[in-house]
Amino acid sequence: MLSIVIFLAAQVLPGDVGRRVLGPFADQASVDAMNEQLGTDRSLVVQYWDWISGVFTGDLGESIRNREVSDVLIDPLVASGKLALLAFIIVVPLAIAGGVYAAMHEGSARDRIISVGGLSATAIPEFVWAVIFILIFALGLGIFPTTAQFPAGASVFTQLEYLLLPSLCLVCVLFGYIARMARAGTIEALGADYTRTAVLKGLPQRTVIMRHVLRNSLLPTIAVVATQAGYLLGGLVIIEVIFNYNGIGLTLARAATAKDIPVLQSGVLIIGIVYLVATLIADILYSILNPRVRLGAAE
Amino acid sequence: MSKDEIQRQVDSVRARRSELENHIIDEYRAGYIGRREFIRRGTVVGMSLPLVGFLASACGSGDKEPSGGGAPVSTEDIQKGGTLRTGLQTPGSDLNPVVVNNQGALAILGQSGEYLIFSDRELKAVPRLAESWKPNADASKWTFKIRQGVKYQDGKPMTAEDVAATFNFQADPDTGGNALSAFTGVLSKGGAQATDESTVVFELEAPNGNFPFNTSSDNYNLIILPKGFDNKSWPKNFQGTGPWKLDKYTPDVGVNYTRNPDYWDKTRQPLPDRNEIKFYEKEEAAILGVQGDEVDVLAQFSPVNGKPLLTDPNVTVIELRASQHRQLHMRTDKEPFTDKRVRQAVALLINRDNIVKGLLEEKSDYGNDSPFAPVYPSTDKSVAQRKQDVEKAKALLSEAGQSNLDLELRTWQVFEVPQYAQLVQNDLKAAGINVKLNITDAASYYGDAVFGQSPWLDSTFGITEYGHRGVPNVFLGAPLKSDGTWNSAHFKNKDYDKLVTEYVSAIDLQSQRTAAKKIQEMLLDEVPIIFAYFYFYLTATKPTVAGVDVSAMGHVDVSQAGQKA
Repeated sequence: MLSIVIFLAAQVLPGDVGRRVLGPFADQASVDAMNEQLGTDRSLVVQYWDWISGVFTGDLGESIRNREVSDVLIDPLVASGKLALLAFIIVVPLAIAGGVYAAMHEGSARDRIISVGGLSATAIPEFVWAVIFILIFALGLGIFPTTAQFPAGASVFTQLEYLLLPSLCLVCVLFGYIARMARAGTIEALGADYTRTAVLKGLPQRTVIMRHVLRNSLLPTIAVVATQAGYLLGGLVIIEVIFNYNGIGLTLARAATAKDIPVLQSGVLIIGIVYLVATLIADILYSILNPRVRLGAAE
Repeated sequence: MSKDEIQRQVDSVRARRSELENHIIDEYRAGYIGRREFIRRGTVVGMSLPLVGFLASACGSGDKEPSGGGAPVSTEDIQKGGTLRTGLQTPGSDLNPVVVNNQGALAILGQSGEYLIFSDRELKAVPRLAESWKPNADASKWTFKIRQGVKYQDGKPMTAEDVAATFNFQADPDTGGNALSAFTGVLSKGGAQATDESTVVFELEAPNGNFPFNTSSDNYNLIILPKGFDNKSWPKNFQGTGPWKLDKYTPDVGVNYTRNPDYWDKTRQPLPDRNEIKFYEKEEAAILGVQGDEVDVLAQFSPVNGKPLLTDPNVTVIELRASQHRQLHMRTDKEPFTDKRVRQAVALLINRDNIVKGLLEEKSDYGNDSPFAPVYPSTDKSVAQRKQDVEKAKALLSEAGQSNLDLELRTWQVFEVPQYAQLVQNDLKAAGINVKLNITDAASYYGDAVFGQSPWLDSTFGITEYGHRGVPNVFLGAPLKSDGTWNSAHFKNKDYDKLVTEYVSAIDLQSQRTAAKKIQEMLLDEVPIIFAYFYFYLTATKPTVAGVDVSAMGHVDVSQAGQKA
């Protein structure tokens, strides 16, 4: 079903494929010849069958730019994965720690700074953060590159240097959201009977927080984090464009503009699958951490 | 050397030159053309650069005209070795020489590949894989002498057979190549013949005085490749005879080159050890790239987005006068533009000063409603420049019985075009013309690019962007001739068609100028298309870098560039 929706949506894009390859000023005979070479002059049913039967055998077809679709997509997927991973590594612990800290100091100035600051940061779009960070850290102080596309064969540290600014943009956007969920969950857990019991039992505060509060408070946070995984992998078009980073978002945006349907539909399909898998993992984690879900299912 | 001796040498040279070449020399001596135009025309008809340089000094007044920008630097002032980093627009197409159609991709072709002729920044035809060329009497047949001893990067020799095969392949409609638009009516498949090991003869479909430009880097798909070469495999090896050899190509990211140790031109051996090209998807990122010191050279930027570079002391801007422009078409077969007075009124309402001085920061020439850009030597500059005249425009509209017009202006989001559309909208208000803007993406605007299925070709009022060409032939044909495939104005005028044929077949500059003047005056009166400006080709380099050579077509040559010593 997902594949049909994606295939049909890709066909809605305006313009002729051969014309997009050769440009608007190309001779019509050339365009016709190109469409024949690419197979885009065939019926939609034939084109869809060709594509989907290839997908099941691991053959995603050929891009209109004369490359295997799998070759076109693999590097950008890895690139976006690196950027998403770095952003995740920074934002998840930071936001959870911030949210828990704010909850433990509920109503204080520290709580307000974290809550209001985090939400304000989330309200600002990532492209605004990108411009601010580039102006300050790349052009002003000159300590980071203006773009994220690291040279081929760059070391891990060089890659980190290039990826840090775009990651920070994502951190700013995601921090408030995750921290708010963590804060709300923690406040709820702190007021729960089991926490009061643990405190009255005389357990050290650290033990109470780690063993009783966090385990319960982070359940909704995990669900939020998991749904952001799909966004981070496939929804970074703006960040990738501004930082000139050849990730999957930029690749799909380019494919949409060029009407490179084989790349577009396969890329969107892969991202759709990533969303599904991320949601599944979130559900599994949720059930592992929350015995009530498992027991409920067993009943 | 005494004057008598010089004159004897000139006479001796002239005795061996053709009638056409002597005609150009006479034009120069008589002052009809300047030094730069003489050099350009001389190279076009096949005189070598040393010869034309000697004749320019011996026969002319010695006046030196300003160059197109970016003064050449001696290679002795440049450090050898190291890496030069260049920023380019991400190629929008497959790097198959047949289908390449944008600046980033064509600049890549020119790194490891070469053309018969390089059309340089001053529109001179500089010999590369062709050593020399000559037309027959009516310029319907051109004979090219092909350089010997040139090798491809895989070690195989480049031959005249390869040259003929390259042209016949690109001129074949079945190939589906981008160069067909330049060859239509000029050269057909089989028109190029290798008559011996070092000679290729081109039999043209019609006389063409500017044919060498069809074989040059202006026709950017035409890098010379081995006979029978599979063009689709080009991105795997970047085959060619050029100064750079492929090291690593990462699609959509960049290309790394090393020097080609077997490069044939001993006077142009690459100075840097490595040539790194980085692709930028968006111009804004590329501008940040050069400001942030990620690249030494940014091959092209627009005056609108690149304003920070124009005032940045850490950037040197090379500006080349060019023929790249926007065409504001008015459909001559649709109301209200069937009456030429309405078209003239619209042209008179446009404030070209605002566009050139405000929008384009004076990085532009004024257009005079014909494709004859001021940069072309054949342009007749005596034709009066059209200027804004609101009262005259109102009077013309009144005579035509038109008032309170409502128009839709269609175009797409590219460079400064949306801002240009807004200026047009604003200017036309002065005469009560209400313009609604309809600005889309490229695919929506161009559609299928055939009549009946393309807002570009079907809209009553629209703006279309055109890149630079070394000669105006393409601009005169497809967008304006009665059978033109890009004739968005639907302008059909048999007298105009005849004038274009006359212009294209003219060999000497005076004849071209005579035909050009008639065309300019006719288009100024008919105004099927408003050519308001011809903006400059802008390149940015770091101030520490010298020797970068660019052409307004989009080629960038860093083989003789490097850090200043």
